[in-house]
Order: sequence, then C-alpha cells, then structure tokens
Amino acid sequence: MKTVFFTGKGGVGKSTLSAAAAWQIAQKGYRVLAVSFDPAHNLGDIFETKLTHRKKRFKDGLYLQEVDLEKAASEYVKASMNLMKEVYGYLQSFNMDSYFSILKYSPGIDEYAALTALEKILAKEGTNFDYIIFDTPPTGLTLHIFALPGVTLAWLDRLIKLRKEILAKRFTIHNIQGKYAPEGVLLSYKETDDNVIKKLYELRARYSRVQEFLQGKDNQVVLVFNPDVLSLKESQRLLFGLEDLKLPFSIGFNNKVTGMSAETVKNIENELRKKFPSLKIQRILYSDNNLTAGYKLEEDIISPLLKGV
Amino acid sequence: MLTKLWTYLKDFISGMDYVHREKAAGITQWEEKELENIFILLLTGSFSGIPAPPAFVAAELLPLLSREIKIFNQRAENSFDTLAEMTGLLDID
Repeated sequence: MKTVFFTGKGGVGKSTLSAAAAWQIAQKGYRVLAVSFDPAHNLGDIFETKLTHRKKRFKDGLYLQEVDLEKAASEYVKASMNLMKEVYGYLQSFNMDSYFSILKYSPGIDEYAALTALEKILAKEGTNFDYIIFDTPPTGLTLHIFALPGVTLAWLDRLIKLRKEILAKRFTIHNIQGKYAPEGVLLSYKETDDNVIKKLYELRARYSRVQEFLQGKDNQVVLVFNPDVLSLKESQRLLFGLEDLKLPFSIGFNNKVTGMSAETVKNIENELRKKFPSLKIQRILYSDNNLTAGYKLEEDIISPLLKGV
Repeated sequence: MLTKLWTYLKDFISGMDYVHREKAAGITQWEEKELENIFILLLTGSFSGIPAPPAFVAAELLPLLSREIKIFNQRAENSFDTLAEMTGLLDID
C-alpha cells in the first residue's frame, strides 16, 4: 500500500486535485481509497455524493471516506472522561462528574484525534487498497499532525531513560537489602516486571511505526499552491516544515494557472525552486469544466505520483 | 569465655555490616524516590507550569503511577524542610 498526502494553503484546490488523483489512479486499475481529513469536507461535493466516516464505494476500485475530526476528538475525550469517571466514580452520585467535560478544550486534542484516525485507517485499509490518497486540513494543523509522532517519541525516549535509572536504583537497593518493599509493597526492579516501562515501550513502538511509515518510501507528500504571493509564502513554510520533519516531498502542483498570470506564475515557481531545487512543479490550468465533476481533470497528474511513490 | 568473645565479635561485625548496608540503601532509596518524583513531575508538568509531554502520554501512564503520585504529594508537603531531610540523610548534626 502506498499513500499520498495532498497539502497546501486553504482554498488552493487540494481536495479537487486529490479527488482527481484518486480517480485517475483508479482508472489505471488500482484499488484506491480517497480520504478527506479537511474539516471543510469538499470531497463529497466534488464526487457529488454524500460521504460519512465510513468508506463508500464510488465505482469499482474507488472508495471515498470523510474523517470527522470533531467526532474523532469527541470520541477521545469521551474515552478520557470514562477513565476519569471510573477513578472518580463516586462523583457521579453528586452529579459532579459533568465538570470533566472541560477536557474537550485541552490543547492538542485535534492533532491526537487526527493521528489516531490516520493510524486506524492505515491499519484497517492497508491491505485492502493499493493507494490511499489523503486530503489534509490547512497547513498549520497538518504540520502539527505530522510532527506529533516525532515530538511524542522524543518525550518517550527521555521518559524511558529516566525509568531505566529508577529501575537500576531499585535493583541496587534490592541487592543491598535482599528486597525492596517500602510500606510492604514489593517494587519491581526488572524491566520485564515493570508495567510503566512496558507501557512506555508499547507507546514507543506504536509511534515509531507511524513515524517510519510517514518518512518511508511508500509515502509521499504533495504540495498544491496557487500563483499568488500568499500561497507562495505558506508553501515555503510548509516545505521547510516537511524538510524539518524529514517527510518525503517531491512534487508541487501549481493549480489554477491562467493565461493572465504568466509572469507571476513563473516568478512564484522560480522562488520555490530557489529554496527547494529538487521540487518538480507541474502546472494545472484553470478550467471552467472543473466546476462540475471536478475529479475528471483533463491533465494527467498521476504519472509523476506513480513514479514518485 | 573465648566463645562469648567470638559471638560478641560476630554480632559486632554483622551489626556494622547492617548499619553500612542500611546507610548505603538509605541514600540510594532517597535518590530513587527523587527520580520517581522527577518522573511524575515531568508527566504532569502542565499542572505546575512547566512544559509537559503530549497529554495522551500522561493519560496512558497515570493509572500505573499511584506510588509516584504519593511521593509527589509527600515531596510537596515536605518541600519547606528539604534541608533538614538532607542533613539527616547525610548524618550531619
């Protein structure tokens, strides 16, 4: 299974191009799943069909799905609230458990929910499809989602190191005293007996898998931009971000190009090439035909993608 | 007489050994507790205004860390008297 993420500033045409790519790849006979992570959810509008969080067959070999980030975040918050209610079950008798509902405003919930949804799709659909095409949310949130596994791994590594030192100290005390049981509780000193370090290793394995996948050769991040200065600035920030995160990007689609903007188109592309010389750029001409059945784009946009991934 | 002396010597040596072992263990125990305190402090950093790991890492681990939370509480209660604890641990009068 190979994946392609369509990224870029809001409104540049990520959804349309990801839909067109999914359609064109499916036309070649591959099994394709197009997934929208964009809260704007235009994927259903482009294919002129109603989509939900469950995948829907559009035609043979092409399935569509919209991930409801708000719903995914609510599910995570609900799970956390249930955990809190379990620990503080007695509060239910006083109807005080409702105060935990504030959890839904915790920072980072959206990114975590999106990453968990991404993990689930990869695990569940990885064997069912040859290609999974993702339409991503606007730049800021997308970069946060991509950065989350790396940030989490950095923390987990430090916590594992600290936990190992704790276990080493316990081992020393165990050796001196014969056993280490403060207040009558025998404390674990071996990694195989310590639930905390086992949980840390489990989390590290989970996020390493996601990180390796995102940085791996089967994944590709595609940039979509428009020939205007704001789009250029945001694209540069996005590409610097992807470079920092060591995520593979190679193709940029200069979308909605018109005859009127020839000089600007060239300047914008040159600016991008100056900083990212390896970036291949393909122009997509603006066409009124795109207004209906936008997925049936005339230009071939998948040849560079199929070569790249 | 000799047997009595021998028993006395044996008790004395084993007593010395016990004292030294307890002292060494006491310092290591203090270090171990401090590490556990740091561990929980890092996990719940946002609680005390320091940078913290992503919330879901703490959420996954907290149910396993009741001992560390207890130590964290004790540390907070005794924080005004850390110097006395240190001098006691190092046998300074």
